Amino acid sequence: MPEAVLRAANDWVVWAIAIAIVVIVLIQSLLYIRLSFSTAERIGFPKEKCVQGLRAGAISAIGPSIAVFIVMVGMMSVVGGPITWLRLSIIGAAPTELTAATVGAEALGVKFGSADYDIQALATSWWTMTINGTGWLLVTALFTHKLEDLREKIGGGDAKWLAIVSGGAMLGCFGFLNSRNIMAGFKGLQAGTAGGGGPLYAAIGGLLGMVLMLTLAKKLTWLREYTLGIAMLIGMAVAVILV
Amino acid sequence: MVSHDEFENIWKKPAVKIGFITVIIPTLMCFLPNIYLYLRYGAFPPVSVALKSWGMIAAIFGAFYVVEPVSYYPILGLTGTYISFLSGNIGNLRVPCSAVAQEVVGVEAGSPEAEIVSTLGLTGSVVTNLFFTTLAAIAGTALLAVFPEPIAIAFKQYTVAAIFGAVFGQFTLKYPKLAVAGIAIPLLIYIVAPKIGLGFLTQTWIVIVASVFGTIAVGRLLYKKGLL
Repeated sequence: MPEAVLRAANDWVVWAIAIAIVVIVLIQSLLYIRLSFSTAERIGFPKEKCVQGLRAGAISAIGPSIAVFIVMVGMMSVVGGPITWLRLSIIGAAPTELTAATVGAEALGVKFGSADYDIQALATSWWTMTINGTGWLLVTALFTHKLEDLREKIGGGDAKWLAIVSGGAMLGCFGFLNSRNIMAGFKGLQAGTAGGGGPLYAAIGGLLGMVLMLTLAKKLTWLREYTLGIAMLIGMAVAVILV
Repeated sequence: MVSHDEFENIWKKPAVKIGFITVIIPTLMCFLPNIYLYLRYGAFPPVSVALKSWGMIAAIFGAFYVVEPVSYYPILGLTGTYISFLSGNIGNLRVPCSAVAQEVVGVEAGSPEAEIVSTLGLTGSVVTNLFFTTLAAIAGTALLAVFPEPIAIAFKQYTVAAIFGAVFGQFTLKYPKLAVAGIAIPLLIYIVAPKIGLGFLTQTWIVIVASVFGTIAVGRLLYKKGLL
């Protein structure tokens, strides 16, 4: 990418805008933390349990965040530091954003990140990422409360059934997410490509690791907060060893 | 215990207000860097190119704008949806953190208590995640050089798959029968549909909807028969 484009992409004004937006993301969390504690107090839910939940979320996010960190560094060199930071701090996951940025450049007939990737191409990449992200954000801003009404209707006040709805949605959703890695793993193994079975091994390792950790955590309760992180490392280790 | 209406007032109403404002403002602000690029450097995509690229991106992701919020809603709930869709990384980070928080505290899924604990778990994950993305923005390239290469590659290639497996494992322990449906539905679609001339079913958004709502439907059947 030409030097001038990189300079424009890392302009201090762009940094300033990115900081402002990331601060709003943080403010949202702080407002929800305050709401959670005040509501807990009013319904008589112990404060210690609130702190415990907050801690568990913060600790569990460490492992996945390291992965985000590594992917992010790669993306920064192509679309600039502030935009990458901005896009990965709100809605985007790296694959989505990179796809949008690439599509933008291609629509202009320029190869993403190449020497021809001029400021016009950068602008097209940025616009495409922004418009794409706006799709999710608008639907969320405008219709989330309607979805709550829908959930109440489906749940019908039956607590046990409502729990099954959540559990079923979770298993369906993660069944789908895993199925893609399983298919990719099998295809890789059949084709005999180096490291082909990796995603499959990682998924199975992660699953078994989590089952093991949760079983252990029944006795060793201090372990509960670390179950996700350890299971993740087990999955990764299994993939690295078997590949 | 509070009544349904009381919870509506002390939780849902303020939650919707916070959510709407904190999502809509960044949505609009995201356009500022692009506008700046135009004002400062005169860079703006030509209309024909802009339309083409928006068409291409909508063809890839358009269905997900609706399918993902709807499909994740039963998992994330009200505040969880506002938090997760604003901060992103939903499958690989938000949902797993919410699930672990609820597991650690031990609340009944779908209850007001679960909603509060899930919210706190998610906000905790936002703070951690922001720390790491900010660190990457400031000193990422220098720090990445310290990582031994094989470890960096392992993180890049396998963490997401391992996390997906782990979350599936966590819920398999709770609902083993439903887990069978959860994994069988997408696999059947991917393997069988193309062989019987229904290849169009393997479009990602169709598989998500079929998996999520298919598994909930199986849950309904099993629940009615007293098997769950």
